[in-house]
Amino acid sequence: MVLLKLKSILFVALFLSLLPCSVSANRKYFDNLADPCPYDYGDILMDRKSSSANVKPVFFSHWRHRIKYSCRVCHFELDFAFKKGQTEISEEDNKNGLYCGACHDGTVAFGHTKENCKKCHTAKIISHEKEYNDFLKTVKQAPFGNELDWVEAVESGKINPVYSIYNKDDKPLEFDKKLELAADWGFIPPAYFDHKTHTRWLDCGNCHPDIFNVKKKGTKHFSMKYILDDKFCGVCHISIAFPIDDCKRCHPDWK
Amino acid sequence: MKAILRTVLLVITVLFLFSTVQAETFGVKKRRPKPHEFGNVLINNFSEQEKIAPVVFKHWLHRAKYTCRLCHVDIGFAMQANLTQITEEDNRNGLYCGSCHNGKEAFGPEDKKIIGENTSNCDRCHSHGKEVTFRNNFYTYRKGLPKERFGNGINWLALEEKGLVTLIDYLEGVSMPRKKIKEPEEFSLKAKQPNMPDIIFSHKKHAVWSGCELCHPEIFPVKKDTKPYSMEEIFDGKYCGVCHGKVAFPNFDCQRCHTEPVQ
Repeated sequence: MVLLKLKSILFVALFLSLLPCSVSANRKYFDNLADPCPYDYGDILMDRKSSSANVKPVFFSHWRHRIKYSCRVCHFELDFAFKKGQTEISEEDNKNGLYCGACHDGTVAFGHTKENCKKCHTAKIISHEKEYNDFLKTVKQAPFGNELDWVEAVESGKINPVYSIYNKDDKPLEFDKKLELAADWGFIPPAYFDHKTHTRWLDCGNCHPDIFNVKKKGTKHFSMKYILDDKFCGVCHISIAFPIDDCKRCHPDWK
Repeated sequence: MKAILRTVLLVITVLFLFSTVQAETFGVKKRRPKPHEFGNVLINNFSEQEKIAPVVFKHWLHRAKYTCRLCHVDIGFAMQANLTQITEEDNRNGLYCGSCHNGKEAFGPEDKKIIGENTSNCDRCHSHGKEVTFRNNFYTYRKGLPKERFGNGINWLALEEKGLVTLIDYLEGVSMPRKKIKEPEEFSLKAKQPNMPDIIFSHKKHAVWSGCELCHPEIFPVKKDTKPYSMEEIFDGKYCGVCHGKVAFPNFDCQRCHTEPVQ
């Protein structure tokens, strides 16, 4: 009897300890949100301080910037965080040539002047459907996300996004190591990771060592559970780069 | 009895496993400090327990005048925050911060005035969580100085090379006069990964700031058969990572060290 009681207490304790973990892990799996249209995919609305300062939140379109600039320019050279609301951008910073102001200075791109406010401070996502459709005609299509193959577009020379705004001679390291990442579940074919397709867009320091440490045996953690939670590959491949709906793109042997 | 023990063991193991999983925060990007915050160290060995605001130590402000060697070798500060265990008594006895902050080389705990009351300087160092107007503004200091992409955004090496700063490397009563020795030549270190450019290491560039003693023999032993060190260890704050990442230019600036073309 005593034994039974003790056992039940232990199991309740076990159940309770697992509860917060399973709740947090399941949060996303049942959020069956509609995918954004391909011309809105990756578009964000930034409202860290705007609303509280009675200014309209800022609309930013990833795909329209990505045609001209690599991810590295903004996320490495200009220090934009990978998470909305984490970069402390202020109007003063922009006017001092930091963040958006590095290009939006009236020379490279339209400046941070009064008549231009409403171009970014739109308070809502602005669809550029026609511009998108015109661009789509020039590149190879893909099934998800922006529904176009960015890697192919850059490799074929259809677009030539700027690699560095500071130093014209900067170029990606010729690091072409390919990784084969074994899946946890027996029937899932491995994922393949190619450094080379990433280095054209990103700097080593974008991913290493924060997102991916460089430990040899550190790969066991890149599970889909974490990726779905915006970690590891999910930092980009949930909402900006092609989404993980595109299973075959990483697990090519999937039947 | 055995059954109970087994269950208890099982529960403990499961609890342990899940507690580690829940504590993990990997796979995301850390916030990068702003240029004026880079290299700041929060010293809080005894402050809070004595109900005093912890000390915010600014590396940039000190390295604009002194070499790293002066504090980390001659004065004996550890290379890790809060390892030195500085007390107020130590400082008043002329150790650590008190080596300079004694009212002669730099401001002391109080400004002694001939007329009127002494003014306390506590807030100038014990500033964490307080609104303090400092005498030196980082962005004013930085204006016009050679630029660097990361860290403080100041190219400290160029600053010294161009003679824009004259670094103090000797403190009367603390340092011992030593003849300067000739630094060894530049050398390259082979990268482990194929296609990863090799590293060029310059003793000369480092010795200006660090002398020999800062790195040898503790951080880098001088044995010929030294075990090669990995980026994993460097990111973990060992070897080059003792300085690079926290105070010297951060180690995500890969191509600043990996500069040699791959053969």
